[in-house]
Amino acid sequence: MTRPDSLLPRESLLWIFAAQFTVLLPHFTRLPLWIIFGWALAVLWRVEVYRGRREFPGRLVKLLAVSVALLGLVLSYRRWFALEPMVALLAVSFALKNLELLSRRDAFLSLLLAYFVAATLFVFEQTIPYALYGVLAAVVVTAALSAQLGGFSARPRRALGLSLRLLAQSAPLMLLLFMVIPRLGPLWAVPQNSGGASTGISDSMTPGDFTRLSKSDQPALRIAFDGPVPAPEQRYWRGLVYSHFDGRRWSQGFGVDPREGAPVSWRKTENPLPEVGPRYRYRVIQEPTRNQWLFAMARPHSETRGVGETRDDRLVRSVPVYSRFAYDVRSWPRSSLVQRPELGDFERRRNLQLPAEGNPRARAWAQNLAQEHQDGAAISAAVLEFFHRRFTYTLKPPALGQDSVDEFLFGSQQGFCEHFAGSYVFMMRAAGVPARVVAGYQGGEWVDQEEYLLVRQYDAHAWAEIWTPSRGWQRVDPTAAVSPERIRDGLQSAAAEEFMEDSLLPLHRFSLLNRLRLQWDMINYRWYQTVVSFDSDSQQNLLKRLLGEVSPLRLAAFLLIPAAIGLCLLLLWLWWGGRGQQLPRAQRLYLKFCRRMAGVGVPRRSGEAPRDYARRIATEAPRLAAMASAVTAAYERAAYADDPSAERQLGRLLRQWRLGAMLANVAPRRHQAQA
Amino acid sequence: MQKIISAIVTDIGKVLLGKEHQVKLALACLLSRGHLLIEDLPGMGKTTLAHALARVLGLSYNRVQFTSDMLPADILGVSIFERDSGSFRFHEGPVFSQLLLADEINRSSPKTQSALLEAMEERQVSVDGETRALPEPFFVIATQNPLHQSGTFALPESQLDRFLMRVSLGYPTREAERALFQGVDPRAELRRLKPRIDASALNRLQALVGQVKASESVLDYLERLVSFTRQSPDCAVGLSPRGALALLHAARAWALIDGRGHLLPEDIQAVLPSVAGHRLHSESGDGTQLVERLMHQVDVIAA
Repeated sequence: MTRPDSLLPRESLLWIFAAQFTVLLPHFTRLPLWIIFGWALAVLWRVEVYRGRREFPGRLVKLLAVSVALLGLVLSYRRWFALEPMVALLAVSFALKNLELLSRRDAFLSLLLAYFVAATLFVFEQTIPYALYGVLAAVVVTAALSAQLGGFSARPRRALGLSLRLLAQSAPLMLLLFMVIPRLGPLWAVPQNSGGASTGISDSMTPGDFTRLSKSDQPALRIAFDGPVPAPEQRYWRGLVYSHFDGRRWSQGFGVDPREGAPVSWRKTENPLPEVGPRYRYRVIQEPTRNQWLFAMARPHSETRGVGETRDDRLVRSVPVYSRFAYDVRSWPRSSLVQRPELGDFERRRNLQLPAEGNPRARAWAQNLAQEHQDGAAISAAVLEFFHRRFTYTLKPPALGQDSVDEFLFGSQQGFCEHFAGSYVFMMRAAGVPARVVAGYQGGEWVDQEEYLLVRQYDAHAWAEIWTPSRGWQRVDPTAAVSPERIRDGLQSAAAEEFMEDSLLPLHRFSLLNRLRLQWDMINYRWYQTVVSFDSDSQQNLLKRLLGEVSPLRLAAFLLIPAAIGLCLLLLWLWWGGRGQQLPRAQRLYLKFCRRMAGVGVPRRSGEAPRDYARRIATEAPRLAAMASAVTAAYERAAYADDPSAERQLGRLLRQWRLGAMLANVAPRRHQAQA
Repeated sequence: MQKIISAIVTDIGKVLLGKEHQVKLALACLLSRGHLLIEDLPGMGKTTLAHALARVLGLSYNRVQFTSDMLPADILGVSIFERDSGSFRFHEGPVFSQLLLADEINRSSPKTQSALLEAMEERQVSVDGETRALPEPFFVIATQNPLHQSGTFALPESQLDRFLMRVSLGYPTREAERALFQGVDPRAELRRLKPRIDASALNRLQALVGQVKASESVLDYLERLVSFTRQSPDCAVGLSPRGALALLHAARAWALIDGRGHLLPEDIQAVLPSVAGHRLHSESGDGTQLVERLMHQVDVIAA
């Protein structure tokens, strides 16, 4: 059995459970329910042990618990090398540790593990609320740790107070380390579970997809411009190009999707772009999409690491965007490019592809148009004119049957951007003009004096691009022909009646709330800009700004000088604090006398009273006897009889003695020299 | 006043040769209105000291030899029916004196011991439902044989605490012993002693003890001493507040005997073994070594 003083008292046990609960709470939604029950069961068992109703589980029971937990993990996840099963494994072992929470050592182990569990939170979420929660968790766990100190340390106020003080003291260190600890890329990547539902544009488009997106006001992109800002009708954030149509569904298609063999240039030398001419510089912060594609205006180029360009003018990332991702982009407006456009055979075929049959009326009409008009631009104008005259823009289009394009064009004539874009491209292809559907976001909302553009999911949009020999690919937005205000002012004004109709509370109708939401988004944006996206590049930049040049020497100086200053301040503070209960002057002087006597070889013993000491000095160093008795008498009067004049006398005596000692020191030397 | 005190010390010193320190301790104990416990072997001069003190201070003196068959009434007194007056009359016991020498107190039964100790604390005696005040001043010098001797009942801690000091006289010095051999007769000296002061003067002296000034520094030392006994793992029990106050009073009396108006750490150190020795005890037993260590480990001057 362990010694009784290493057993855990009640309060510290409660603190441990509180810390465990705090760090596990945010994981409750992610972990399978049985783990939470398992934790509660382990806690219950431990409490029963505390109350003396039950023994600690035997080896067999523990073995059983571990096997059941492992089996549960296997059944819940069916795979090992992913992040969530690993976190679950950690949580399980954390929970089971309660079954052998016996001594103080076990408590420390459990609490240190709690820090780790708290840190896993940031693998999933890095937003401000979670960061604040992380701080809270650190406070609670530290308080639980300090509650293990014994005495009355487990009292809530004392434990929390100590914890807060400790954390406050560690804050400067944390900031310093945040700035200078090297940001290593992950040594290995643990795949995250990508099966979860995500909102956003998917890799294919069927009627109804965008209607779903239009109901979500989640942020999708935040874009900050450096320099000129494109006009509202130019803000098209291209994400995907759909080139393949199977009669109902638009998808990227073979050779267009980078996952299906489309070439991507990852280095800037591969795809030279003019250094001159108007361009937009901007930084996009993208919410996690769990997909590889990024969003940018046409003709983009990015120097952010891991971002490449595809042939169809898009940006993709080498790995899917699992957490917020920021990338810097430069975009050249297409009109500014002088390069002569060319369309290869493969691309031409690709962008003229249509299913073998279906939608006969649309095909016939398109062929008519092709005969009537000379070039692609004219055909396009005719189709847009047709849209403009007859069609209505609605968020609630009627359902379409087999020949969806025919039904839309000649039947319902009501639709959403995906209907217009899809049928437009169908018609153009049927008329022999290479065309493709582009999906992404359009528009955005300014936040805080145009600091950045907030693009939400309901800004998702689909449009078209056609190819003309003279100008190459150019954007055509059929929706603009039907509802120009959708492009100019956004969805909210284009479909005011229908916009966010299904939401529980029509919050978007209150302007104050809207402003608050934008403010909150702005805070989030700043948080992300300064904290979360602080990677090795920003670190280098910051250090360069601070140090001028990043060399090991300077870095060491940067680290050590503040540390030294901090330590000096601490020392000063301690010294100053010690001064608060400073000894009376007489005592200080007397102690000085004692030090000098110790230097002469007669140190005062602990517990030796002044008189006894003087007497001993008289026997051991007779030549100092008179001096010592005078000092002792003066000290006694000063310290014990509260005689202020004696204090001055004591000081005088000590000064005289020093002089005398110096002379005495000099004299024998001279003596020796003469000898 | 100083003259009187030194005269008293010298006078007693004539009787109790070479025991000036113990004499001063006894006097300090008396001046701070405490009772004295003398622990020593028979024949070391315990009785002589008590007797000499009584004579020099002009106190009425009674001596009680404690035995194992003694009853409380033997000390306190008893009411006896007198046929002449037809009523009970209280016959005062030996406790009704200004200086009581309780010889070999640990020979008697606890019952009798506690009767005396109660009288010491309350300075009054209750017999037959009637409370009688003891004379003023009232001073008990108890002697006890070392505990390892047969037929002794150890005084319990609570009762040891009633004694301000415990001193032991120890063997006389070589010079003193030689003087004894050479025919100095303490008994005769004792008879020759004259009272130096009376009860009222003694009262004034006792009042003076309270006026001895204790500076912050010395109180600080006292406090450190006391807290050391309470925190040191060697001490089974620390000094009680009563013990700490006793230490302060005794040290003040010592300073007064030394002719000073203020307290020095030396005063505390001088009385410390006597005042704290019987109040402290370690796991292994007696407090004497503890006090020794206490004096060496607690520095006089706070650093």
